[in-house]
Amino acid sequence: MTVVKVEELEKEYGKVRALRGISFEIKEGEIFGLIGPNGAGKSTTLKILATLLKPTGGRAEVFGHDVVREAEEVRALISYLPEEAGAYKNLTGIEYLRFMARLYAKDEEKAAGMVELGKKISDLGNRLNDKVATYSKGMTRKLLLARALMVMPRLAILDEPASGLDIVNAYTIRKTIKRFAREEGTTFLVSSHNMLEVEFLCDRVALINSGKIIEIGTPEELKEGYHAENLEEVFMRAVEPAGGEES
Amino acid sequence: MSDFWVLARKEIMSLIRDKKLLFGLIIVPLIIYPTMGKVMQLGMETAQGETHVVIVSFDDGPYGRVLVNALTAAPNVTVTLINSSSLQGALNRAYQEKQNVLVVIPRNFSDSIEGNRIATVEVYGIFHSIGTGVRESVSESRINAVINVLSEEIAKLKLKNLNVGQPEAFLHPVRAESRSFINHHIVNASPSLVSGVLTSQAISLPLIVFLMVTITAQMAAGAVAAEKENKTLETLLTLPVKRTTIVASKISGTAVMGLIAALAYMVGLKSYLGSFTTETGVTLRELGLGITPTGMLLFALVVFLTIVFALSLAMILAVFAEDVQSANTVVSSVILPLAFPAFILMFTDINELPALARYGLLADPFTHPILAYRYALSGSYGLMALSLVYLSALSLVTLYFAARIFSSEKVLTAKISWGRKKRKSG
Ligand SMILES: Nc1ncnc2c1ncn2[C@@H]1O[C@H](COP(=O)(O)OP(=O)(O)OP(=O)(O)O)[C@@H](O)[C@H]1O
Ligand SMILES: [Mg+2]
Repeated sequence: MTVVKVEELEKEYGKVRALRGISFEIKEGEIFGLIGPNGAGKSTTLKILATLLKPTGGRAEVFGHDVVREAEEVRALISYLPEEAGAYKNLTGIEYLRFMARLYAKDEEKAAGMVELGKKISDLGNRLNDKVATYSKGMTRKLLLARALMVMPRLAILDEPASGLDIVNAYTIRKTIKRFAREEGTTFLVSSHNMLEVEFLCDRVALINSGKIIEIGTPEELKEGYHAENLEEVFMRAVEPAGGEES
Repeated sequence: MSDFWVLARKEIMSLIRDKKLLFGLIIVPLIIYPTMGKVMQLGMETAQGETHVVIVSFDDGPYGRVLVNALTAAPNVTVTLINSSSLQGALNRAYQEKQNVLVVIPRNFSDSIEGNRIATVEVYGIFHSIGTGVRESVSESRINAVINVLSEEIAKLKLKNLNVGQPEAFLHPVRAESRSFINHHIVNASPSLVSGVLTSQAISLPLIVFLMVTITAQMAAGAVAAEKENKTLETLLTLPVKRTTIVASKISGTAVMGLIAALAYMVGLKSYLGSFTTETGVTLRELGLGITPTGMLLFALVVFLTIVFALSLAMILAVFAEDVQSANTVVSSVILPLAFPAFILMFTDINELPALARYGLLADPFTHPILAYRYALSGSYGLMALSLVYLSALSLVTLYFAARIFSSEKVLTAKISWGRKKRKSG
């Protein structure tokens, strides 16, 4: 089943053309990676799919729902982790999870289940009883990731999920994401700079540069196509001929 | 629990836990105003309380004694007699004993009275510091009052000796009795008293409305801007919740806090103003100016709609700000000028203004609660209903735009640049 279908998607911020017609599809249960240099248009793509931004051209569907016309239906199926995000400072970690769970769950029992799951994923232990204001950047990130996953979305859209996390935590998070995809059948769309992460995590990858998709394939296919040993080399070779920004 | 309640509860919780906000909203009015009132009251009470008078008498006739006795008998006056042979000595003594008033009865006091000449009493106010002079002046006026009474008594005595039948009528051939005609009722209170009560009402209500509107508007704007500043807005907008629910919960959350704050301000202000109005001892009800339940309900509705308007306007404005601070700036620069005309109504009756100014003021929603209060007092419910219609229309329009802007991507991308532009390098 096709979870995400993007066709000739375009986005202009005033004069800046962030997306110049990109197309890709994501199948159910897949972990799909969007990789590319800074300013390539990764976050813009993810925000459009998360119904935050409206495309200026082309179309995007999530589970068959148009992200513009059926935004509410889309929002009921997804959970989105922004690139830069915070949690409510005046709430404690556990209160934040409870607050979010109540908005997703139909009943208290389900909400309690989500909170339990969130506690486990966040791995914050007793610190969950402290105010979010006292958390470090990495702790907040773990809390937000826990929130994004505990609600059991059909599609999780994660913008650089492991940014700001140390090696151990990043590793754990990747494991969790993988487990979710295998066990719950959750579909993932992640963006990343970390090629190691992408290689370990993603079933398929799209290379994006200057608002255009250059390549789509499994990490193996990409490595073969570019005669590269790892994705980092693929990335460098794919980006080089483009010569950075075009006008 | 419905989404709305979950969101509204979170809103209230965040606001309550914001120590700065709580301090400014509830602690300050509940402490500062009563304290201010107490200080004022204390100042007045000490001024009105016991007056300590030191008297030195150089007179050896009977009338010097009479004056001392009259002062001793006067309420709130304690008299200390001192013996001194010179004025300077008496003043020094009084100063050392931290007294405020020295009354000097001169040598020829009784002689003058008996000789039907004007007798003189010298009253010295003694200043210990160059601070405020309230105590000294009040004490002096009290001495003067006592002396007036005394001189009247002496005059009556003299008139009696001249065989005048009614010395009172002789001394005061004309007397004024003042009453007030208000709201088609005669009230047994002097016009100055009534106008005092009305003035205190006229000042306190606009002040409360002004504070409430500006404070809640700031809170609502802050609640939106904080979502941007703390980077929680993007997550919030992707939750499976209707955007209108988000707007409604924010408005209700801040409105609840606004009402709590208004209550705190009202209690605070009342105890502050109370220190003035208790003097007059006249309530509005006694003036026949009570508000009926209908009036109360209509007034509450007008206040409610005004707050809804202010809050939704503030939320729209906050969308254009990047952080709480610039949100406060934007909101202040729009809401304050709008709320300010309310103060004009402190001093003027809207019906006395030229038509243009009148309609200008009426167009400003923030004048309506003040007018509504007056209409409620006078029972003009028709005019209140008109206010309600106008405010409802206005609130609906701003609410609609608030919901619209929250459903569009403008809520994420709209911003007015405040001098500097921030952008990540590509
Ligand atoms: N709100 C905005 N207003 C104007 N231009 C924007 C805005 N957001 C993004 N852009 C521009 O759109 C382009 C794509 O940005 P985007 O954030 O999608 O890149 P990205 O691939 O996520 O980069 P990074 O790896 O740095 O996160 C950039 O040129 C950026 O400057
Ligand atoms: Mg990005």
